[in-house]
Amino acid sequence: MKGLLLKDFYMATKYCKVFIAMVFLFLGVSVANSDMFFFLVYPCMLAGIIPVTLLGYDERNKWLEYSGTLPYTKAQIVSSKYLVGLIAQVSVLILTMIAQAISMHVNNRIDMKSLLILLVTLVAMSCFSSSITLPFMFKWGVEKGRIAYYFMIGFICGGALFISNLFEDQLNPVIQLNSLLFIVCAIAIGIYALSWYLSIRFFEKREMR
Amino acid sequence: MNALEIRDLTKKFPGFSLDHLSLTLPSGCIMGLIGENGAGKSTTIKLILDMLHKDSGTIKILGKDNQKDLRLIKEDVGVVLDEVGLPECLNAKQVGAVMRHTFRNWNMQTYQHYLKKLSLPDQKPFKDFSRGMKMKLGIAIALSHDCKLLILDEATSGLDPVVRDEVVELFSEFTRDESHAILISSHIVSDLEKLCDYVAFLKNGRLLLCEEKDQLLAEYGILHCTQEQLAELDPSAIRHKKESPYGVEAIVTRSAVPVGMQLSPVSIEELFVIMAKEAN
Repeated sequence: MKGLLLKDFYMATKYCKVFIAMVFLFLGVSVANSDMFFFLVYPCMLAGIIPVTLLGYDERNKWLEYSGTLPYTKAQIVSSKYLVGLIAQVSVLILTMIAQAISMHVNNRIDMKSLLILLVTLVAMSCFSSSITLPFMFKWGVEKGRIAYYFMIGFICGGALFISNLFEDQLNPVIQLNSLLFIVCAIAIGIYALSWYLSIRFFEKREMR
Repeated sequence: MNALEIRDLTKKFPGFSLDHLSLTLPSGCIMGLIGENGAGKSTTIKLILDMLHKDSGTIKILGKDNQKDLRLIKEDVGVVLDEVGLPECLNAKQVGAVMRHTFRNWNMQTYQHYLKKLSLPDQKPFKDFSRGMKMKLGIAIALSHDCKLLILDEATSGLDPVVRDEVVELFSEFTRDESHAILISSHIVSDLEKLCDYVAFLKNGRLLLCEEKDQLLAEYGILHCTQEQLAELDPSAIRHKKESPYGVEAIVTRSAVPVGMQLSPVSIEELFVIMAKEAN
């Protein structure tokens, strides 16, 4: 699988330069103004999108067909994308944490608890962004996968809104935001693992016509 | 040992089916898979590589079932598809680095030798390569990991005659080792005629014929004669005839032609065209 990762590294350095520049720009802004939550979350979302972008290029270049002629299993081809995603996400998380720690230090507001909550939130956000997209793309290809992704996002958002309206008055007020974040983070990691498994199953069944 | 054995291979798509295909490619030989566009050549190759899932039948590559540990089998198989699907931003040097981590038997010196021999730049991105250069890079990769079987899908189409000649020479060189074999598909029959030991004709997913090329050429000939002379022959010996005011040109079984009648050699392309027409 080293070959696949190396290929993705070459491609990422070529095609994802703008992403990388944006990550540093947003991190810089977040250090300057730590209250701007969007600037903290967005780089993590971008990192999650990198494997999706690379998969799009793979399909356009017909690499997915060509890789079928190389000594790789379909599970390895799928796993390489998830590993690239993990590497990108972990790198951005580390950078974000360092940036936040610096920001807190500069402003004399070091707060380990809020740093931990931030980490949990970012892990959840970065896991969601790619784990929902990739299985659809491995099953139907990038274009059809993207349409399925929009439907899925609509379905999830609509469903969440419906459920929250339905149980609005019954939500347990004792549930603390912090605990909820840890639960959401655990769910996000679970979804990432499920997404990985489903992508392998879908891609193994997909024919390269 | 046979490099490739296919038995009763079947695959159905809406509007097309590959129908109980059986063929055997012995090691040390080159087999040409000849057929019109849509005849089933690429489907056959993708089934061999398990890129498509067969409905029934068996495929053995170098004596091993293609669905059991295909990853290991692919170490010994070099493949060039009609479109070499390398990432457009990579150059030949980076491709070499990727392949070094892909194939256990990757030989960087061999790869560099082929890059030089085929005049391929190692710093130019793949997207700036011409179709011929892309094919040559695909061939260089396929030949640089000590493979035993080369599978080439329309690998010579779109190449100019000089490059085609270079490539055909590389393939001939490859099969000088008796443990090596090539399966090459093309609709340009003249390329395969120069190269192949065996020819397999495919038409609408059916195998019309799979035979040794020399035997096929020895079996048939072109007879130029009059209508009356042709009428004297056994009708079953006449595969095809073309009448004109100057006489008849017929492709006939050589053994059925009486001594004294002049026969000229038939080409594989002529035979293929006739068989394809007969199959309609």
